[in-house]
Amino acid sequence: MNKILAVAGVVIRELYRRKDFYVLFILTALMTLLLGGVNFFNDEQIVGYLKEFCLLLIWISALVIAVTTAARQIPAERENRTIFPLLAKPIARWQVLTGKFAGCWLAAGVALVVFYAFFGTVIATRERTFPVADYFQAGWMHWQMLGIVIAMVLLGSIVLSTPAANVTIMFIVALGILFVGRYLNTVAVRMDEPSSSIVYTLYYVIPHLEFFDLRKRLVHDWPLVEWKYIGLATLYAWAYIAVFLLGSFALFRRKALN
Amino acid sequence: MPAILRIENLRVEYRTRELRGSTRLALKQLNLSVNAGEVFGFLGPNGAGKTTTMNVLLGYVNPTAGNAYLFDVNVREPIARQRIGYLPELTYYYKFLTAEELLRFYARIFEIPRAEVESRIDRLLKLVELDHARKRPIRTYSKGMQQRAGLAQALINDPDLLLLDEPTSGLDPLGRMKVREIIQRLKNEGKTVFFSSHELGEVETVCDRVAILHQGELKEEGRVDELVRKYECNLEQVFLKVVGYQQQS
Amino acid sequence: MRTALTLILLLTACFSLATYLQPRQASRELLEHGQASALDVLLGDGRRLFANEIFAKADAYFHRGNYPSIFELNARREENHMTAAAAGEEEHYEGDGHDHGDEGHDEHGEHEEHGEHRKGGGHGSEPRDWIEAFGRHLHPSVHLHLRDGEEREMLPWLQLSARLNPRQVEAYAVAAYWLRRSLNKVDEAEQFLREGLRHNPGDPLLLHEMARLEFQNRKNYKRAENLWIAALKRWRETEAGKEEPNEFLLSSILGGLAQLNIEQGELTRAIDYFRQLKEVSPLPEAVQRRIDELTEKLKAGEGR
Repeated sequence: MNKILAVAGVVIRELYRRKDFYVLFILTALMTLLLGGVNFFNDEQIVGYLKEFCLLLIWISALVIAVTTAARQIPAERENRTIFPLLAKPIARWQVLTGKFAGCWLAAGVALVVFYAFFGTVIATRERTFPVADYFQAGWMHWQMLGIVIAMVLLGSIVLSTPAANVTIMFIVALGILFVGRYLNTVAVRMDEPSSSIVYTLYYVIPHLEFFDLRKRLVHDWPLVEWKYIGLATLYAWAYIAVFLLGSFALFRRKALN
Repeated sequence: MPAILRIENLRVEYRTRELRGSTRLALKQLNLSVNAGEVFGFLGPNGAGKTTTMNVLLGYVNPTAGNAYLFDVNVREPIARQRIGYLPELTYYYKFLTAEELLRFYARIFEIPRAEVESRIDRLLKLVELDHARKRPIRTYSKGMQQRAGLAQALINDPDLLLLDEPTSGLDPLGRMKVREIIQRLKNEGKTVFFSSHELGEVETVCDRVAILHQGELKEEGRVDELVRKYECNLEQVFLKVVGYQQQS
Repeated sequence: MRTALTLILLLTACFSLATYLQPRQASRELLEHGQASALDVLLGDGRRLFANEIFAKADAYFHRGNYPSIFELNARREENHMTAAAAGEEEHYEGDGHDHGDEGHDEHGEHEEHGEHRKGGGHGSEPRDWIEAFGRHLHPSVHLHLRDGEEREMLPWLQLSARLNPRQVEAYAVAAYWLRRSLNKVDEAEQFLREGLRHNPGDPLLLHEMARLEFQNRKNYKRAENLWIAALKRWRETEAGKEEPNEFLLSSILGGLAQLNIEQGELTRAIDYFRQLKEVSPLPEAVQRRIDELTEKLKAGEGR
């Protein structure tokens, strides 16, 4: 565990020494504050649009951070050849991968805490409330979703030849699932065979990232999701994370390093 | 003296897309052992199989046949590397980390107790003369400084066996002398050093035994003084004779 | 070198074409719309598509985020066309056609769950599989409306929709309705309607909404009557000749006029408007009952 956390620590250190997170946070903050200054019919209590916009920026930023950070881990280690002195130590390849995953996921988690704290503060200036439980649920689910994406990207980084290809494909996949994943069964029903079966298979196989998108609940002030469903969704996320990581282990084990 | 490094019938074949599915034989039936407390030189021309042998010992590459052992543990097990230190030829370290952070990171991999880590880091950074630059990121270091950082990380776990790949490559005479001094000191402390080098003058000065590899095969092995006596020439001449180099008159 | 020169040449040609075309495009815009805004320049004709999407967003906000996707809407259209073809009559779509300008609609108010779930999955029906079922515990899945001032949350989207497509009169009408009805912002509502009328002179929907504002909020009956009469006239000029005229709007205008005249004690005129309303109302029996009530009152000498 210590070795895994050591590798994770290096990933986190790299993230906060790069500019990506700060740039994205500042952009999000600036755009949110600018939009918050717009006057709609002299009503200062309107807050839904601001929530929606800020959360959209947070989701985009977090996805960018997660995908780009995870996509460059293994390729950068190989390209910079830092993998060699690392594996010359008593550490197994699966521990390196797990450490990379843990580092990316923890780093994404820290980023989310900062983003959601900013979001909560801005909204509190209008709503005069800070619903901690709601934000916790939304942030937690968002974090689980990023875990699935990070595990998927790590697998992609071992399979695909370049980080750029990995980033592009994973963005398309993640956004595709978020926008369209839950409707694949509706689409499949209206298709002929064999397309219908293919789409249905896809529907059952893909990780349904949209489960973890609680933005509408935050924007439209829906009550908390029952905690048992949060628990089930978390287990669902961990199952997919495990599958992607196991796939990564299996491939990375056999991968030539140079 | 017990053999702490043992290679038995090692065979490594590479199959690549560039070779269009055919294989390239990098090592054939290599048998080698290094005893505790020795300074062992691993010689050979480019493409002889030295790097492949190192890669197998470090677990980067799985052998096609045969086995290699470090401290009687098969090199396929990560724990085989618990008591070794490795200094690569080129400096491959995280540029965004400082030397201190790098050493701390590797110390955690070795699971060195926290209480001991800081004193070891202090001692090593003083040894390699990087104390003044310990808080600077490695990307700001010169090549020599990076090489010295590499030496420090190779010694962080106080290894019983040090694997050095061209340790003096790219160093100025002062740097080379310092590396020689360190190797000598390690030898005096009873450590084992296994290194590959093209600097035969250095090898002749420092090594107890050498092995000469050529085209994946072990051509010659023995004590330096015995080989020099056997071939009646210096080590460089021995090397050239063993690899079959014909000097043009 | 050759490649660089070719690229420079192409760039120059493109730039020249742009400078040739742009003034001509700008003049055309000015002729058509009177003013070319930054959004016009940025988005071009795509702004109308965006405007429609943003208007749908406002509707989604009205339903607290529980809104069918385009896949579900498409599926329902196909289903219902098949049903219509078999049954020979059109069905009303659940979730479509909410007229937020309709006074009757906001009286739903309370939690309203459409009880009969359709089979076959999708929005407002039984879930097809465990994934859909599980998703409903996480996403908004109950039919609710904004109320008690919460309607303000739609306003930014309605305003944006109107900015993107000033010809989308529904955006002005719906925003004005909620501004005056739930948020007590009558002046802002009037201003917004006036803006809509500047871009859409004489639009009957906007005139009707302005009339309602004067009638319900300002109690300026004279002005309301003038506006409704103008709306009726404009409706007859613009809608009457169409294949599918907007009879709902006509009913609202006639209903407004009838109500106004009742308030003023002009029962004869009210009855006349109700008679016109009966011809286009989907509930002629209810209208006839009102006519009968008023006729009785007239006989009893309660009005003129």
